Amino acid sequence: MSPMPELLMGILLVIANLVLFLALAPFFDGIVRRVMARVQSRQGPPLAQSYYDLLKLLGKENIDSTGILPFRLAPLVAFASMLCVIAILPVAGRATALTPYADAISLVYLLTLGGVAVLLGAFASKNIYALIGASREMTTMIMVEPILFMILMMGVLKTGSLDLTAVIYGTPSAGFGWPGVVMIVVSLFALQAFVARQPFDIAEAEQELLGGPFIEYSGPNYALFKYYMMLKQMFYAYLPIAMFVPLIHSGYFIADLAVQMLLTALVFLLIGLLSATHPRYRIDQAIRYFAVLFVIALCAIGAAVIF
Amino acid sequence: MRKELEAKLIARLRDDVVCVEKTDERTIFVDVKRAGFREATQIICGVGARYLCSVGYDNIDRDGTLAMVHTFALDDRNQFVCCRTAAPVDDPVIESITPDLPSAGWSEREVTDLLGLRFAGHPKPKKLVLADDWPEGIYPLRKDVPHDLVPQGAEDVAYQLDEAPPGTKIVPVGPFHPSLHEPEHFAVYVDGETIKGCDYRGFMTHRGIEKLCQTQVSYNEVPFIAERICGICGSVHATAFSQAVESAAGLVIPRRAEFIRTLMLEIERIHSNLLWLGVAGHLIGFDTVFMQAWRVREQIMWLCERLTGNRKTYGMILVGGVRRDITPEIAQDILTVVKKIEEELMVIYRAVEKDTSIHKRTKGVGTITRQQAIDWNLIGPVARARGVDIDARRDHPYAAYDEVKFEVPVLDSCDVWATLVVRVVETFEAIKIIRQCLDKMPGGEIFVEMKDKIPAQRHAITVVEAPRGESVHYVITGEENRPERWRVRAPTFTNLQAVPLMLLDEQFADFPIVMGSIDPCFSCTDRVAVVDLQTGNASSVSKAELDAMSRKHQERVKK
Repeated sequence: MSPMPELLMGILLVIANLVLFLALAPFFDGIVRRVMARVQSRQGPPLAQSYYDLLKLLGKENIDSTGILPFRLAPLVAFASMLCVIAILPVAGRATALTPYADAISLVYLLTLGGVAVLLGAFASKNIYALIGASREMTTMIMVEPILFMILMMGVLKTGSLDLTAVIYGTPSAGFGWPGVVMIVVSLFALQAFVARQPFDIAEAEQELLGGPFIEYSGPNYALFKYYMMLKQMFYAYLPIAMFVPLIHSGYFIADLAVQMLLTALVFLLIGLLSATHPRYRIDQAIRYFAVLFVIALCAIGAAVIF
Repeated sequence: MRKELEAKLIARLRDDVVCVEKTDERTIFVDVKRAGFREATQIICGVGARYLCSVGYDNIDRDGTLAMVHTFALDDRNQFVCCRTAAPVDDPVIESITPDLPSAGWSEREVTDLLGLRFAGHPKPKKLVLADDWPEGIYPLRKDVPHDLVPQGAEDVAYQLDEAPPGTKIVPVGPFHPSLHEPEHFAVYVDGETIKGCDYRGFMTHRGIEKLCQTQVSYNEVPFIAERICGICGSVHATAFSQAVESAAGLVIPRRAEFIRTLMLEIERIHSNLLWLGVAGHLIGFDTVFMQAWRVREQIMWLCERLTGNRKTYGMILVGGVRRDITPEIAQDILTVVKKIEEELMVIYRAVEKDTSIHKRTKGVGTITRQQAIDWNLIGPVARARGVDIDARRDHPYAAYDEVKFEVPVLDSCDVWATLVVRVVETFEAIKIIRQCLDKMPGGEIFVEMKDKIPAQRHAITVVEAPRGESVHYVITGEENRPERWRVRAPTFTNLQAVPLMLLDEQFADFPIVMGSIDPCFSCTDRVAVVDLQTGNASSVSKAELDAMSRKHQERVKK
């Protein structure tokens, strides 16, 4: 193929990625809500409820309770950083036009930037609940981001490359060996923390902090944060599927993608079940939990280096 | 006991003792002069009495004094001791007993607010009940103040919170906060996430029920108002009031009515404990427990609707008996429903019992020692979870509790988990009691009319074990077929005072569940909105329409 159509294809893939994530993330959120409802003997909201919620919030008034710039910028930064992550993500093994300009480290950077934007908004809102929520969010980030990094590191070690497509899709499932199996377990146990759901919805903690970092946000700004959270959850639910479940290589990109999205939906089913069967942990309990995961992940990386 | 107490009092106080009398089998009244009041309460505590509450009343018309009663219970002998004194209205100061009995703090502050009686040596003589902008010098419970007085409000008057310990930040919890179910304000002083103290400002929806019942209605109407003190333990208050009046009047009610009261109280306990279990689940962020417990609870509300016409606020208790009889069909209905609840609750309990993540959030949380629980006079499941073996149903039997057998669960792990277990076990015990009631209930009348006029100036005290602990009602009979003074002490009044102690050095994340573990009493009225599921149109219902709908539904239920 000549370079021009490839570039065009790459650009199309960037757009396709964004459309896919933006379109599916609220649906997956709907799945979690429905699963939780069914475990709780409730009928639950319609699967499209999260789209309605976003639309409703977008139509409401933005209340700027502080009048300072960081407060207004934070939701935009968070949302934009997540869009960047999606734009560079090689979905179903296909690199987009932007993937070559990024690597595993910039992926982690961009994800962290989203988290930092949440903190920024929380600190700017000068609300004591937001501050407590932000300090919890910060602690969680410090503990959880290294685990994410080590999951990606596994791919880096196996392929010897930082290129995203290689890191995520480059290792055949047999190639991971037992450290890879340990890492799968770690990523399952860290799943609820990545998606910030029970037992790790500590920063938002409705019953104590009334939404924590987001307490002062309303209307479109809050919609952006909500959308950001949904996109982030979809990314984290998709990541273990992409890394540890081999593509079916049917020859059709669409079929590969459909299977992976189906598997992602199953991960959301799992998220819903886990959320419905756990109380919220306290931050001190969560830290101990993360610390154990961290050590295990580190051992797995060590083992992958040695063997 | 009366003689023993009299001898001890006279030995120490000599001329300060006016009289020690026993008005009925279980009530001893001690009258002392003002100077010996505090010492008299110390002597009473010394014989093993447990402080209940204090009652102030206006005696200005009679002898120009404001009177004060401290009430105590002797749990091992089924007796109550009421220690009375009076202070002239122009020098209304009495020595405080709060330094000896910390849980008397609120009772005394309440009397100061409502009657203008002051307590020398009170460690925290701040406003408690009245609004911050209530004018000085107007004491609502005095007889010269009309019940509908609306004084001029004032701007810029705010409650002064206690000073925060150095290095702490104040987190306001309330007046509106999802973990509280009624308006009340906690200022929680936190260092990082650790709670270093808290101040409480509540009584924001003080409705003046006592004043209303002392001035506007008659004995027979009060039970229905009493029932509305609490949205959950209504029958408890109605029963307690009725028993106090019956005791003052010397009225003996039919045995069948006593059994039906017992039955209603236990149905209410099942309802309340299931409700609490759900709320507790919600407060630790475990909504599945919340939803499942309330699903089980729903059946008891349907049952009560068939039984009394209301899902809650049953209106069953009258002075002199109960309003409706239990027919054999409804008895069968009750048995079927409680059996189903027993099975379904067992499923939830088994799941909760083994859930390590619930243990993580409840074990070792809200810990206070048994001695602290005794010092603060904690009551109900909160006390029983701290190894304090008290239960008014067993210690001061009323209604038909002397004829039924039940266990009183007492645990000694002293934390929130223990209160959960105590409440679940008590629900199973309540089901046992209901079965025994239906089994042993004698035939006969369910109501006896009060024929003679109740003499004025009789004092009576009763306790009824609510799901949250004992409710104390103190009644002084009055002239116009209504109580002259009626004091209600709900269990939360006592338990809430010890919450700052339970919170100390806990994590802020545990605030909701520690607070929730005492099951703070709330009552609420809600607007009704009807949503048409097909069209999605929402419409509100006016009061008249709602009445009509309720009546129509009632007709259907009767058929």
